[in-house]
Order: sequence, then C-alpha cells, then structure tokens
Amino acid sequence: MSRTGAKILGVATGVAVAGILIGFYIAGYLVGNTPAFRPTVQGSSASPTVHLTIETVAAVGPTLAPHPDWVSYLVRNNSGRWERSTVFTLPAHATIRVTIYNFDGASGLRNPLFGRPTGLVGPELVDGKPLVVMPPDQPSHTFAVPALGVLVPLAPVADNAKNTCGYAPCLLSMAHRTMTFVFRTGKKGHYRWQCFVPCAAGFMYGFGGPMQTIGYMDGFLNVV
Amino acid sequence: MSAVAVEVRPPLWRRLIGFNALTAVVFGIGGYYLGWFIGHHINGASVAYLGVGGIDQNDLSVFLGYFLGVAGFLIGMGFGVYPWARLRGYPPSLREKEQQGVGRYFGLCTDHKVVGIQYLCGIGLFFFIGGLNAMLIRVELLSPARQVFPAGQYLTLVGMHGTMMMGIMSSAILGPFANYFVPLMIGARRMAFPRIESLTFWLLMAGGAILTTTIFFGGFPTGWTGYQPLNDQANTGMDSYIVFFALVGISMCLLGLNMIATIVTMRAPGLTWSRLPIFCWGVLSTAVLQLLAAPVLIAVLGMAMLDRTAQTTFFIPSGGGSPYLYQNLFWVFGHPEVYILALPGFAIVLELLPVFARKPLWGYRLAVAGMLGVTLLSWLVWQHHLFMSGINSNLRPFYMLSTELISIPTGFTFLCGLMTLWRGQIRFTVPMLFCLAWFFNFLIGGLSGVFLSDVPSDVTTHGSFFSMAHFHYTIMGGLVFTFFAAIYYWIPKMTGFQLNERLGKIHFWVMFIAFNSTFAPLFAAGFLGQARRDVTYPAHLQFINDWVSISAFVLGASMLVFLYNFVHSLLFARIKAPVNPWSSLSIEWQLPSPVPVHNFDQIPVFTSDPYGYGEPSRPSALPAASPAGGSS
Repeated sequence: MSRTGAKILGVATGVAVAGILIGFYIAGYLVGNTPAFRPTVQGSSASPTVHLTIETVAAVGPTLAPHPDWVSYLVRNNSGRWERSTVFTLPAHATIRVTIYNFDGASGLRNPLFGRPTGLVGPELVDGKPLVVMPPDQPSHTFAVPALGVLVPLAPVADNAKNTCGYAPCLLSMAHRTMTFVFRTGKKGHYRWQCFVPCAAGFMYGFGGPMQTIGYMDGFLNVV
Repeated sequence: MSAVAVEVRPPLWRRLIGFNALTAVVFGIGGYYLGWFIGHHINGASVAYLGVGGIDQNDLSVFLGYFLGVAGFLIGMGFGVYPWARLRGYPPSLREKEQQGVGRYFGLCTDHKVVGIQYLCGIGLFFFIGGLNAMLIRVELLSPARQVFPAGQYLTLVGMHGTMMMGIMSSAILGPFANYFVPLMIGARRMAFPRIESLTFWLLMAGGAILTTTIFFGGFPTGWTGYQPLNDQANTGMDSYIVFFALVGISMCLLGLNMIATIVTMRAPGLTWSRLPIFCWGVLSTAVLQLLAAPVLIAVLGMAMLDRTAQTTFFIPSGGGSPYLYQNLFWVFGHPEVYILALPGFAIVLELLPVFARKPLWGYRLAVAGMLGVTLLSWLVWQHHLFMSGINSNLRPFYMLSTELISIPTGFTFLCGLMTLWRGQIRFTVPMLFCLAWFFNFLIGGLSGVFLSDVPSDVTTHGSFFSMAHFHYTIMGGLVFTFFAAIYYWIPKMTGFQLNERLGKIHFWVMFIAFNSTFAPLFAAGFLGQARRDVTYPAHLQFINDWVSISAFVLGASMLVFLYNFVHSLLFARIKAPVNPWSSLSIEWQLPSPVPVHNFDQIPVFTSDPYGYGEPSRPSALPAASPAGGSS
C-alpha cells in the first residue's frame, strides 16, 4: 500500500472510531429516556376524551437508574404497564379523566390554599368521596397545572398502614389512596405541571432533585 | 572492511510492552477495580456490587477506584521508574525517552516540545468532547417542552460541558504553547522540572477520562461549580467531578510551579526582566495564579469528598457545617481561575500584534503592569459571585468596587494592544484575524461584566443566560480565539508544515460570525428571564433559542473546518513552512522547524527585547538574539 493510501486508511479508521465513540457517548445520555406519553383518545374529534391513569410512588426503585431513591409520578401506558414519563401529549379542548393512585405518605403543604381542589370539572373524589378541602398537614403531593388553573391535592397513605409500597412499580393490592377528577385542556400549547408539596426527601427544605426534574415530580402537558 | 553499527528496531509487539500509554491504561483499569473491591470490602456491598441492577451507590469504592486507577495509570506510564532507580543508587538524570520515534508521544517524555504537542492533541480531544456537549445542550433547547434526553441528564450535559471546558482549558495556552516555547524564548534547553512537566499532562488526561465516566454513575446536577448541598446529595457521578477537578488542580499547581521556576531561574544571559517576551510575562502571571489558587480548589474538593465518604459535615448544615463555606472557598479559586483562562489570551495577543503590525509593542511596561495588576486584583473580587447568596450586605460595595477596579489593569493591556495597531502596517493573516477578534469579543465580554459586578443590575442578571453570554464572550471570545491564533501562528514551527491559509480564513469568519450569532442573542434571552441550567424556558423565547441553537451548530461546524485543515495540511498536503514565515524577531523563529531536541548548540546571549520592528537603529531582519549554530 502506498504511503498516501496508508494515511487515508488511517484517517478513515480514525474517523470511524471517533464516530463510534461519539455514538456511544451520546447513547450514554439517551439511555433510559422515556418519550412523551400519548394516551388513546376517545370520543369525537369535536369533544375528545382521554383517560389518564397515574401513580405516585415514594421511590422509583433500583431498576430505574440513576435516581432509584427519588419520589416520582408514573403513568400507565396504553399496554397497561407503568412507565416513568411526565410529558403527556393531549388533544386541545379535550376532557381529561384522571385517576391517580397514591402510594406515598403525608408531607404537608407550605401554603394551606393548595389543599383546596380548583380548576376541575366537578369535584375531586378521594376514595370515591368528594373533597372540599384537605387539611394542610395531610397532602402527600399535588397535581397542579398553573396555566390551566388546575390544582389537585393527593391524600396520603396512613403512617400505620400495612403492606405499604417501598418503591415502584406498586401494585393495587398494596396500601394506596385513589383520586379521580376531570379537567379540560383548553387551547394548544405547552402547559407545565408539577407537584407543589416539598416532597424531595433528603433535599434542603424538600425542594430540588425530583421536584425540579422533568420525569419525576415535574412535567408538561403538550396540548396539540 | 569496517563494521557498521545498525540499529535494529524491535517488532511492534515488543515495543508495546513496557511503560507507555497502553500499559498505563491496563494498569489504570486494574487499579480502579482493586480500589473498587477494597471500597466495597470496607463499606459493604451495594446494589450494583450484587449485580441486581442500577448504579454503584458506594462513594468510597468509587473514590478508591479512581485513586488507585490514577496511581496505576501513572505507574504504567513509567513515573515510578526514575524514583525507583534513584532509590537503588542510579545517578540523577533529567532526560527520558527524548530520542524515540512516534512512541515518545504516548508516554513519559522529558522533551518540553513533545509535551507541548501532547498537550495540544490531548486538550484538543477534550475540547472536542466539551464542544460536543454544547451541541447536545443546544439540541435539547430547541424546544421548551420536548425532552430529547432523559430526566436529569440535561444538568449532567451542562455540568460536563462547563467542567470539561473550565478544567481542561485552564491549560489551553500554558500546556501546549508555554511548555513548547517558553524554554525557547528564554534561551533554555529544557523546563526546570521535566518529569513534573510530563506528569502535569498525564494527570490532566487521567482527569478528563474520569470525568467522562460520570455518565455511568448517574452524572452530576451541579454544573461546573459543584455547589453544596447538591454536591453532597448527588449520585456517585459527583465523585467523578470531584476527582477530575482535584487532578486538574494538582496538574495546574505543578504546571504553574514549573513555569515560575523555569522563567525565574533559567533565563539565558542578557535576558533581563525588561527584555522578557510579553508572552512569558503572561505565562508567569498565570502561573502565579495557578500555583496559589489551585491548592484551595484541591482542599475544598477534599473536604467535599470527606463529607461524601467519611461522614464529616464541613458543608452540611444539619451537622454544623455550611454550604456557604463551600461557595466562598470555591470562588477563592474560581475567580482567579477566570483570569487563569483570560491572561494567556492577553499574552498571545500582545505577543502576536507587533509581528503582524510591524511595530514595537506599545507600552511594554504598562502591559506587564496590567497583567500583574490583574493577577493581584483577581484575589480580591470573588464575592461578587455571591451577591445574591445572602452575604453580609456591607461587603457588597467593596467587592463591587474591587471588581470594577480590575477593569483598569485589564484596560492597560487593551490599550497597549490598540496602540500597537495604531498606524501599523497590519497584515491580515489568520493568526492576526483571531487576535483582532479578541478585541471585539473581549470588549463585549468586559462591558457586559459591568452589569454583573454592579449589585443592583446583578439582582436581575444573576443566574440568567445574560451571565452565561457574558462569560462565553470573555472565556471563549478571549481564550479560545487566541488559542486558535496561537495554533495558526506556531504550528509551522512545531511541525515544520504550514496550515492552509484559505481554509484558516474560512474557519475564522465562520467561527467569528457564528460565535457572535450564538452568544449575543443570549444577552436578550437572559434579560427576558431565561434561567441558566434549566431544561425549559418560557414559550415566547423559543425563536431566540432556535436561532442560537442553529448558530451554535454552525459554530461547531467551523471547528470541523479547522480539523479538516489540520489533518489535511499536516498529513497529506505537507507543504514545508519557511523557517520564519511571519518574519518575526522572536528567537524561536530563528531556529530550524521543527526545533531540534537540544534546542540550542550554545546558549544564546540576548541583547534586546524581540519587538524592534521598524526601528531605524535595529533593522527588523536581524534576530533579537543569535542561537549559535541554530539558524538554518
């Protein structure tokens, strides 16, 4: 092989190796990514309806690196499995029927006003019973979409409950509370939603970590 | 018939066995696993150790793994050979592997020119990785609501980019160019401590490799500052950050010490302080900062490591510690670090301007005073980073004033540069274009810095993209542009070949326009409320962010133009460079290209400074000092 040919081969090999390494490097960041969840839409296009089923867990568990001990929301996907995604793609001007299973204990509110459900179509039902206001020391988490005026406090699992769930995925046979409510999405846009209860255990004042991280206690409603 | 000694080159497999980079990597990996097992033996097995899944949560095992890994890496590189030989009574020697072929670039070598080229390639590699992170950040910010990367990874991307750039680029000028050219400029045959010189490089490479492993440990959420209490709460990925920056600190400290010792003690006869090239003054100023600032960094990271492993509470409020202490200690290092990055840029610009303006450097002593003034004042400004952290409000006016005061010595160097250009016969070569860009970039960076040093305006600009745009104008606009100026200027001397001028100009213009198109709009984004280190932003800022992202991709593409030029010119075109293509009076340009191992046959005697361009009493064609037997 000529000297120039050897150089070309060397450079081509170098570019190929660099390309592979760059691919691995970027893949290292992408591992574990959960894409936006797009639930099945029911009803007519004029009045679409979506059912969202969510659970709230005290820790995502060792199979969901890199933060196995972080509190999180999980959503039940269209095949019935729980996945850690907090970005939901929803239709505009739709009716969203939400069921949240909460497996976490009480954290308490900083602002007692967050104990009153707002922005809903009809009442929030806690274990099937309408809720007017939740005492400030009780809420475990909130499901809040400020731009839509939606705020829903989640009732906690009692401290002395039996068969509590340590980390996800939590089964419905374990101790939990059930919240059901309905809201409407409004016009197209990106609506941030998050938990307003400082529930990040181990972080200063309960903020930081999962509280500020999309995919845990923070997400978006992409209304299209 | 006489016998002729013929050197028989051993086969490749034989040459791969011994103390070199390959052995170092093998020893490094072995050392890592040894430390990892010891750590688990001490602290108990973690989930990862048992193979259940997830990541290793045992900080002690990760730290011990890294420490023994670095020790193994250095032993494999051959850093234990000389001390061991001395212990066994062998005579002292300052030279090691200086005459070997390509292999000397992959191991311990005491030739300062080899170390310079090692630094250039090594820093280039990590600069590329840091830049790749920047591209990924901009991909993520194309949309405020669609997440490309998994939850939490954006913070790791930002942290990796910042840490890699701030850590590795601290040696961007001193590593490649000061190591290569300071001994030549002062008429010396080597650095004061040649093995330490090599050690600084390989420590930096070990550190860079360790930082990239943070992905396997969950990354880190703190950005490049590693603030507490996030630092203490973070995954074991934080350990990679701590070890990386500690190694960078040790490398910087030793690099600075070596530079000071070399410049102070090894100048050739006649090279008085007033004849010392301005580049050496810049290197000396930077070296002083490195030597004094880096130990504070090493100490604060050591304390953070103890908090994470030995349950000390230096920075943990519940145990009586203070996160605020970390902030103070970090910025005691951190602000001089900013000038560790900026001062070499000043030095490059002032060194190159006389060559391309064909005029003596205007205000040599003023320029030196400016750089020394910056060195001194940079110790008195660090609390401007803490204006919004709840510091005693009585401290604010002092730090506001001291920060604004530093613009005076900075202005000295700016003024000297401008006056050197005044009525000069300017040649718009590629290195000169990069130097001229420095004036524009650093001016924008400096003026925007006033908004951050003034307490009232800092209240709104702090923590926003305004701050981010400011420091990119000063660090990238100030350092990276001069880094490229130095590459285009000195590569003909380092390699004997010249880079393609046309491609160099394309690189410059694309980089300059894309750089400004990337960072100027971020001032507006910051004023409009976009926060740093946040994966999302208000929807109405999407147009600005998309514009910035596209500009950033063009900026990244300009680096590929450079890379193509570099590889094509040095490997394929291989056009021999003239010995002194820029008609410089500086002594390194009077030596053959590339410079021989021993530098000078005889130590030169200096009679003037190297800036006598156009002076009637000293025709510019004459060198400032004659290296006996060195010219060709």
